[in-house]
Amino acid sequence: MRRGAIVQLLLFAAVAGVIATIMALYPHWLPPTASEQADRIGYVFWYVTIICAAIFSLVAAILIYSIVKFRAAPGDDSDGQSIHGHTGLEIAWTAVPFALVTSMGIFSAVVLARNDRTGNNPLRVDITAQQFAWSFKYPQHNDLATTVLRLPVDRTVRFRLRALDVIHSFWVPEFAQKQDAVPGIDTFVTITPNKKGVFPIICTELCGLGHAAMRSTVIVMSQQAWSKWVKSASKAAGGGGGANAGRTVFDQNGCGSCHTFKPANSAGKVGPDLDKLSEEAQRAGKPLEEFVRESIVDPNAYVEKGYPANVMPPTFKSLPKEQLDSLVQFLISGSGGAK
Amino acid sequence: MTEVVTNGHHVTHGAAPPPTGFRRFLVAGWLRVPWMMALFFAIGLGLVLLLRSIAGWDPLWEWDTIVVVAFLTTMPLGFLAGLGAFDYWVYYALGYPSRPEDHSGHGARSWKDYFRVNTDHKVIGVQYLSTTFFFFVIGGLLAMLVRAELAQPGMQFTDNQGYNGAFSTHATLMIFLFVIPAFAGLANYVVPLMLGAPDMAFPRLNALSYWLLPIAGLMLVASFFAPGGAPAAGWTNYASLSTHQPMGVLFFNMAVQWAGASSVMTALNFLVTIITMRAPGMTFWRMPLLVWANFTTSLLVVLATPFIAGSQFFVMFDNVMHTHFFDWNAGGYVLGYQHIFWFYSHPAVYIMMLPGFGIISEVISVMARKPIFGYRLMALSLLAILVLGFSVWAHHMFVSGMASYLRVPMMITTLLIAVPTGIKVFSWCATLWEGKLHFNTPMLWALGFVSMFTIGGLSGVYLGAVPIDIHVSDTAFIVAHIHYVLFSGAFFTIMAGAYYWFPKMTGRMYDERLGKIHFWTTFVAFNCTFFPMHLIGTQGMPRRVADYVPKFADWNLFISISSFVLGASIIVFFYNMITSWRYGPPAPGNPWRALTLEWQVTSPPPVFNFDEIPQVVGSPYEYGVPGARHALLNGARTGQLEEVQR
Repeated sequence: MRRGAIVQLLLFAAVAGVIATIMALYPHWLPPTASEQADRIGYVFWYVTIICAAIFSLVAAILIYSIVKFRAAPGDDSDGQSIHGHTGLEIAWTAVPFALVTSMGIFSAVVLARNDRTGNNPLRVDITAQQFAWSFKYPQHNDLATTVLRLPVDRTVRFRLRALDVIHSFWVPEFAQKQDAVPGIDTFVTITPNKKGVFPIICTELCGLGHAAMRSTVIVMSQQAWSKWVKSASKAAGGGGGANAGRTVFDQNGCGSCHTFKPANSAGKVGPDLDKLSEEAQRAGKPLEEFVRESIVDPNAYVEKGYPANVMPPTFKSLPKEQLDSLVQFLISGSGGAK
Repeated sequence: MTEVVTNGHHVTHGAAPPPTGFRRFLVAGWLRVPWMMALFFAIGLGLVLLLRSIAGWDPLWEWDTIVVVAFLTTMPLGFLAGLGAFDYWVYYALGYPSRPEDHSGHGARSWKDYFRVNTDHKVIGVQYLSTTFFFFVIGGLLAMLVRAELAQPGMQFTDNQGYNGAFSTHATLMIFLFVIPAFAGLANYVVPLMLGAPDMAFPRLNALSYWLLPIAGLMLVASFFAPGGAPAAGWTNYASLSTHQPMGVLFFNMAVQWAGASSVMTALNFLVTIITMRAPGMTFWRMPLLVWANFTTSLLVVLATPFIAGSQFFVMFDNVMHTHFFDWNAGGYVLGYQHIFWFYSHPAVYIMMLPGFGIISEVISVMARKPIFGYRLMALSLLAILVLGFSVWAHHMFVSGMASYLRVPMMITTLLIAVPTGIKVFSWCATLWEGKLHFNTPMLWALGFVSMFTIGGLSGVYLGAVPIDIHVSDTAFIVAHIHYVLFSGAFFTIMAGAYYWFPKMTGRMYDERLGKIHFWTTFVAFNCTFFPMHLIGTQGMPRRVADYVPKFADWNLFISISSFVLGASIIVFFYNMITSWRYGPPAPGNPWRALTLEWQVTSPPPVFNFDEIPQVVGSPYEYGVPGARHALLNGARTGQLEEVQR
């Protein structure tokens, strides 16, 4: 090998390494973490980043060095040196990457095992996913149900996920944990929030035309505030019924993620505007109540012009009768049903 | 093998006189296509109606079934029959005297011969490449639509159905109608030449496997006009979303079958050709790495493709026949789809890269004027990728809810694949060392590939580590990774191959300046398009959404603008290729001073490639070794063979 080639090569590698380090450190690659699991995932992320930056710098240095030093002069038709291989080098670049990926594998396996630990007394939350809405239940608190997830800080939560129609995926970027909800099986994921705040819940598995709108919110609050909320929410749920019942059904089934409906403060744009139900019923040529009920249980019976068929999930036909009734009443009352 | 009739280069003897009058509609060709398609459609339709009326099913006209049977199955068969893809076999099977082979369907004497069932591997190679570039443009335009929609939050250009249909069909076209068949096309042209063979082992099968391809492609394009729009469940087509879709998904199911059949037939053809048709002296350890790469790829294709065929048939049966393969209410198993699908689709990633590895090995060795570094380890690492490639499929399913004990073993095998892949990258780098590098267009694409593929490979290491994968699954990070791997591993390498063999295929030189402009615009725009996707992905931007939160708006606008530059850069390529094909300066037989056999004949090569089957006497990469020869050709063998043996 040429004299000084190694030194120059290392110099190139150092420059590439500095650039790679700046690239790794300057942008915020990971969102601010808000769970213990996310912190551990962050350790793996940075460990892999260090190794990858080093390898990238090495390859970049060899390429740039070769491009600069071994360029054939114009008209130079001679051949390069007939080097066929080098057993030592070949063993080295088989063995070293092998060792490096094995270390990453071990690190990852340890973190994975730690992240699945639930401890003695996890809070249990059942997640139900359906096109295109999330709903949550607390089985340890009389099945208290909500559409905005509220969690106490610093307590491990064991989620059980179920899907009613197609596959969905539960992801909070700040928690860095993700789990698909699969029809027909129960899946589980463990999260220990360690920062208070409000974070988005995002569906990350393509679940149909309303996929992008399938979002919700998680609020991480102090233990006391959370206990207080559980109490007041349980009381409200117990005394439910009446005008509020329809609103609850509307929220829990995620109608608002696709439909605009002022009484429910929703502004979804995937499906028809529910503030204009009476006009739509006229176009369908049906009495309002019959039209609303039919549109929920058999969405393809009449499809509003400008909207494709088969988008609204057919799953709502399985709503219990009293819930369906209250939902229909809620929708009629909100759209000025008297007209 | 040596008794091949060559008869000079213009084989015109024995062709029957062209038929006249209505008989023109009976001979194989485009006049026979329309009525045969109509006839076969009618046969399919009649079959469905007959069986439904016998069974007494209501309604008689059930359009899903009619579309699958008559439109997507029998009508394409009619197209192939009309064109004459089956003529020889049908004559043979029916006991007619099969016509003596007059070579009238072999080789191209005018542009019209490219629109026939042609058995010349060189014609088929060009047919493949033209067709795949056609669908590449459509797939690229769909990507532009996707990026236009993503330039701003909210919906601007299309609705959710249009958007989901666009990205699903973009991926499907790029994978099944561009990358896989473009490699098959390049290999079709080059592999028999490199082996010193006059053609592929089964020329008629070769012609048939090409003609399946436009069927698959047009089917996917036609899906946009199906009621309910194009397939919108992603190219992965996961159940149980895909089992409750409008008719478009049936087009996807069947298009994959046609494209899959095409690649299985080609792969079988390659395997037999490589195993049995090597020139004397061409041992396995003397084969160019491109041949090694296509050998491994063909093994992958033959073993893996039936799995995707199965998965798509199951989805189709669930949709049309109301079976319950993936219907959980009736005992179906939703995750089963993913296991079957990825058992093909992970090896498919290597199907889309290994041929590219082969191309790069050829280009780098020739343009660096050096033997490929560690030739045997390069070949063995291909085999290692082949074997490991079948043991990693579930790394696409770390968050899917599959049995959790599967995760760590799948992670280990996934990370281990980095080892043979690393060997290849390091060996390419070492091949450059102390070389005499010529930075012409193929070399630029090759080096662009090595650098970009390194990034794609390293982001693959991130994804291999389960905890990181859990965070970034189904985000824009995945989109970035897949494009770094496949845009470099497939598109860059196809470009390297296209420029490298363009003189051989057309007999003309391309414009070097335009080639370099094309490379640099693509290279810069590619990085500006896909690198930021890593960042927005880890920060929380999911994939496959048309609408997103405003905090990603700036990056997405930047990505979209870059992607339009990237899309526009292909215009330079087409302009260069088309004008050079017509007006470029004539290419010598061996413009790159390469040793492999395809460069030892004229450009373009004679119809039967070699006047005399060459005698291989050494490695194909002996650059800088005084007096070394790869092969002896054209009557030189008798005299020089003795000299070499002495």
